[in-house]
Amino acid sequence: MWRRRLRGPFAALVLVVSILSPAAPSALAQAPPPWFAISDVRIVTGTGEIIPRGTIVVRDGLIESIGADVTPPAGAWTLEADGLTAYPGLIDALTNIALPSELRAPARAPGGGGGRGTSGSGASQEGTSRGPEDRPATFTWVTAADHLESDDSRIEAWRKAGFTTVVSSPDRGLLPGQAAVIDLAGERPNDMVVRTPVAVRVKFTKSRSFRGYPNSLMGAIAYVKQVFFDARHYDKAWSIYDASPAGTTRPQYDRALEALRGALATRQPVLFPADWGREIERVIAIARELGVTPIIYGGRQGYAVAELLAAADIPVLVNLDWPKRDRDADPDADEPLRVLRYRDRAPTTPAALHAAGARFAFTSGAISDPSQILTNARLAVRAGLPAEAALRAFTLGAAEIFGVADRTGSLESGKIANIVLADGDLFAPGTTIHTVIVDGHRFDGASVDGAVTQADGPDADAEQNGGQSDPDTEQENAESDQDAGPYEPIPMVRDRGPVRTADVTLIRNGTILTVSGERIEGGDILIRNGKIAQVGRGIEAPSDAYVIDASERYVIPGIIDAHSHIAAEAINEGSVSVSAMVSIRDVLNPDQVAIYRALAGGVTVANILHGSANPIGGQNAVIKLRWGGNASRLLMQGAMPGIKFALGENTKRDRDPDRYPASRMGVMDVIRTAFLEAREYRDDGRRYEQALADGRQGVIPPRRNLKLDPLVEILEGRRYVHAHSYRADEILQLLRLAEEFGFRIRTLQHVLEGYRIADEIAEHGAGASTFSDWWAYKIEAYEAIPYNAALMTERGVLVSINSDSGEEMRHLNQEAAKTMKWGGTDANAALRMVTLNPAIQLGIDDRVGSIEVGKDADLVLYRGHPLSVYGVVEMTLVDGQVYFDRTHDARMRRELAEEKQKLIEHQAKAPKGRDRDRRRPTDRSQAQETSR
Amino acid sequence: MKLRTLLLSTVTLALVSSAAGAQQDVLVIHGGQIHTLAGAGEIADGVVVIRDGHIVAVGGPDTPVPDGARVIDATGKHLYPGLFDAVSRIGLTEIGQVAVTSDYRELGNNNPHLQGATAVHPASEIIPVTRANGITHTVAAPAGSGLAGQGSLINLDGWTIEEMVIDPGIYLVVQWPSLQTRGFNRTTRTAFNRTFKEAKKQYDEQVAALERLLADARRYDQAAAAGQIAHRELKLEALARVTRGELPLLMNANDKRGIRDAVEFGKRNNVRVIIAGAREAWKVADFLADNEVPVILGATQSLPTSEDDPYDAAYTQPARLHEAGVTFAISTFNASSARTLPYEAGQAVAFGLPHDEALKAITRYPAEILGVGDDLGTIEAGKIANLIVTDGDPLEIQTQIEVVVINGRLVDTDNKHRRLYERYRARPRRGSQQ
Repeated sequence: MWRRRLRGPFAALVLVVSILSPAAPSALAQAPPPWFAISDVRIVTGTGEIIPRGTIVVRDGLIESIGADVTPPAGAWTLEADGLTAYPGLIDALTNIALPSELRAPARAPGGGGGRGTSGSGASQEGTSRGPEDRPATFTWVTAADHLESDDSRIEAWRKAGFTTVVSSPDRGLLPGQAAVIDLAGERPNDMVVRTPVAVRVKFTKSRSFRGYPNSLMGAIAYVKQVFFDARHYDKAWSIYDASPAGTTRPQYDRALEALRGALATRQPVLFPADWGREIERVIAIARELGVTPIIYGGRQGYAVAELLAAADIPVLVNLDWPKRDRDADPDADEPLRVLRYRDRAPTTPAALHAAGARFAFTSGAISDPSQILTNARLAVRAGLPAEAALRAFTLGAAEIFGVADRTGSLESGKIANIVLADGDLFAPGTTIHTVIVDGHRFDGASVDGAVTQADGPDADAEQNGGQSDPDTEQENAESDQDAGPYEPIPMVRDRGPVRTADVTLIRNGTILTVSGERIEGGDILIRNGKIAQVGRGIEAPSDAYVIDASERYVIPGIIDAHSHIAAEAINEGSVSVSAMVSIRDVLNPDQVAIYRALAGGVTVANILHGSANPIGGQNAVIKLRWGGNASRLLMQGAMPGIKFALGENTKRDRDPDRYPASRMGVMDVIRTAFLEAREYRDDGRRYEQALADGRQGVIPPRRNLKLDPLVEILEGRRYVHAHSYRADEILQLLRLAEEFGFRIRTLQHVLEGYRIADEIAEHGAGASTFSDWWAYKIEAYEAIPYNAALMTERGVLVSINSDSGEEMRHLNQEAAKTMKWGGTDANAALRMVTLNPAIQLGIDDRVGSIEVGKDADLVLYRGHPLSVYGVVEMTLVDGQVYFDRTHDARMRRELAEEKQKLIEHQAKAPKGRDRDRRRPTDRSQAQETSR
Repeated sequence: MKLRTLLLSTVTLALVSSAAGAQQDVLVIHGGQIHTLAGAGEIADGVVVIRDGHIVAVGGPDTPVPDGARVIDATGKHLYPGLFDAVSRIGLTEIGQVAVTSDYRELGNNNPHLQGATAVHPASEIIPVTRANGITHTVAAPAGSGLAGQGSLINLDGWTIEEMVIDPGIYLVVQWPSLQTRGFNRTTRTAFNRTFKEAKKQYDEQVAALERLLADARRYDQAAAAGQIAHRELKLEALARVTRGELPLLMNANDKRGIRDAVEFGKRNNVRVIIAGAREAWKVADFLADNEVPVILGATQSLPTSEDDPYDAAYTQPARLHEAGVTFAISTFNASSARTLPYEAGQAVAFGLPHDEALKAITRYPAEILGVGDDLGTIEAGKIANLIVTDGDPLEIQTQIEVVVINGRLVDTDNKHRRLYERYRARPRRGSQQ
């Protein structure tokens, strides 16, 4: 109807538009008018200024002039846009639009395994990666701008939804390539490019068509780190070489590093994926370690870490594909509160980021129907995001993040003519996009059609469903505007963190089993600032003290589990025989309920170990169970770093693809070879240091090798070895091998046949951390005996009892008691096996493991004797704060049940969709992780 | 129904061998505190008289004792019924990860005629290890998909399976179908991910298939009664014992839905049902009580099934079922760790189950649930003489089991673990070797 307002030659243009569009939008570029004007239009410039009635003159693709007083030049085609509002063209801040399928991650098919085949992934069988040097799933040299295809149907679909500009990036592999800002119009692909490259993309997951290393989140992180370190080294090496080639060995060309070198030199930002708060914190730490400027994409739990993001000034591309309940899910499934809360609160993320002052933009994520993008943004507005801030995130905010605010993102004279004309407020329900101008090209497209279907985009569900339109779409649209009131999430019950905090606490009148000293009947423990200040009888409570009545209670030191796999998102990097470069520290999961459950079993410290898939495994993390804190707060500062080794069956088991070793001969060979390599690496480093000291110029430093660094630390006594082992013979072999290289095995883990060579273990000085009574679950455990701990102790070995299980961890006190039954260990020695002995083994006995003045106030109160099957943990303190209280727990579960019920009722009304997160490794709390 | 064990020889007690030893005809245990777990309650300074594998008298210090009896002085000790692990794999597997040592799982999902006793290995090292901790009898139960086979009630002592078996077919193990949209198929080693609708369809089909098999069995049974069977169908013969009410179905079901549906299935098809595993039984406790369906629980020391469940959901489950009035036993469903059975019961006491009930959950109740309450489960005259003498509460970890009597025989408690312990304890110290 607005055509009737047209006059002059402009009408002819409309005719062209209607003929060519939508089938061949690129053909439009053939005849752009030299200039035209939009008059009588309300202008929202995007800079904060609003012009109630003004004119925009577009010439040669740019905004020539804009304002209330601007007069259209004589002869210009003029659109009288009375009743319409002009906005800056919207920017979708991360997509793979216009990229060929071979640069995209393979689709996740519903009902199938997903991501396994080669079809559509473009990644034909890539061979098996044996380590970072194979540059697995790496395409840093691929830049989006070089691969654009203008026939992607999403170009038009997005444009119709108001998008003039997108950031497009390859997304297959771990390092998919470099992103470009492109405008959604152009006769030829090259016309589309606004700026390139604008960012390097990182991912931590890859499709299964990339086999071998890395095959875990831990491995992916270690790999990304290695590649960035390698790129810096590569840059340095070539710089040195190019300065004086004569006499210097030429560095090896590496296209992956060559591309990264360029990106680093131009300080390109790096795109990192992170949705959950813990992922965001992890990515921030990684970026800091690598010295790169991060941009986070995903960010849907940003509401939990908004302050952190603001303080670090790290921009977030918030994925507007809000999490939804899977429409294919079991209607009776018990969805975790954690997930319900995430779903409830994700739409509040933009408001939270805005309030905190963090920078953010929006990305459509896996949304296939572009009309859904604005609909979902409206939900964020209802959740408290000011409409101006929403607009900014779609326009200037995004442009600033990608360094194109000087050319687009707002309606200002001189900028690219990327303009949207809508018949009302963009964020008001029912508003329609009338015209989109991209690079000065006008596209008339009043309505937005349904879903764009795509064979192998990131969300190929519609196609996979047999070409039917995705039922998501209808449901999502149906939802869109039915409820325009404010969106308020359900209040959260506080279920994490200390139950009670106090600077001064007095535990009064308990039976104190100090472990290191005497048992004290009717004893008191005074705690100040997290430390044990006084232990004895009749201690006066300071006036400010919180008093815990421990009458009829036993008090013991916090239990320490020397072998656990809780609170981690990955356990094994089993693709290689030496995975020393990976670290549990990189994948700690502070959200796992297993932490709380362990606290309820009296555990305060745990040694989180890599699994036993390979002879030299990954690095450990000694954590304090400070439930509710983030990953870095879990880490026990000052604990000696460690690493997992593994011998025997688990390491030599058949694997696909085959992996050396397959015998105990090979296991020892792997370890010996690795240490020979580490020695050479250490010597290279020393020679380099010497050369520098000698003032020699132009020496290329050795490349930093994340795999060998920890091994050098072992050689230098700066890292503990915790060796998974079963058979006496293999244990002896390892002890001798360590002696050959001049180091000591700190602990033998499992060590079920340790009783056979207890003298040798004691002589070597290794600790033994074993099970109480497990046996016969495999051949190498067939000669295991429950007397093992007692027998080794008798022979002078320092013994601890561990769990290797999220369940058994909760009653290690009982497991310790079993050493009394089997082998006659006395009560205090039994208790030591789960307190002071593991503390010594982990090198933290100056801090924890017994009740002594000056140690951390990690304490457990039991009703009933802790070495009885009837002993029940009533209270657990970490650093003097109560983290578990059975009475409080009973109260809290009622409150949590009420909250959950509200969330379920609230979400029952919400539409269901495809849960695109359902294959994500979010929480392994239910898994009984074990490396036995 | 029962294969009686023969008393074999006249070897003296001091030389009792590791398997079925020989004793004098009559065994008397006196002086101890007898926890009968029956109407007689506790008997101080009690006397138990055992003959021909059975308890013939239980009473106070005045109980008449036959002349020439072999006498054990249990003064200061405690007598309890032998512990009963009502669902285990003892004898059916030796080393978990070595598939060739396992015989509890057959191919296919329709094996109602198979019996655990056929494959029990009497020389398994797990048997002496287990009974040394007071477990005197168990049901060696097959596992698998669908109709996995019949569990065999056996004593944990005997030179041959014939000497061990009490009842070769005491229940039919059914793996109740699971309704999973996502998971990992261990047989094909592939992940699956399907819609609820697809999963539900398959689930319903599996339940319907079970129902059809029972209908087939009824027809077969009627035809057999009418003499119209041309050739025997072993599977249908076995299932006919179910439809006749002679053989209960041991329904392995852990989640709420499975438990409910399995119970309804039993009602609909008029067959006896025992729910086994039952990790979420506490969520449907009233339903189970109302339907008077007994339950054999798996390990108390388990994690909750759902992230949001209370941390102690599994620990408190026995107490909750007790309060709701559900009849239940506690079992290990394991082989090598079956010896921890008393601690699974002890953990339940720590979290609210009365001690007496916990003890009965691993002695008397499983016997009653399996219909052998007249033969096992308490210390009473007329029962099979399976009992233990301890230095204290058998649920407590530190308690030592001092005497084990199985089927009236004084059993040697020597085992692989104790032998290795003694052997390596005697290893000369390094440096002292010449």
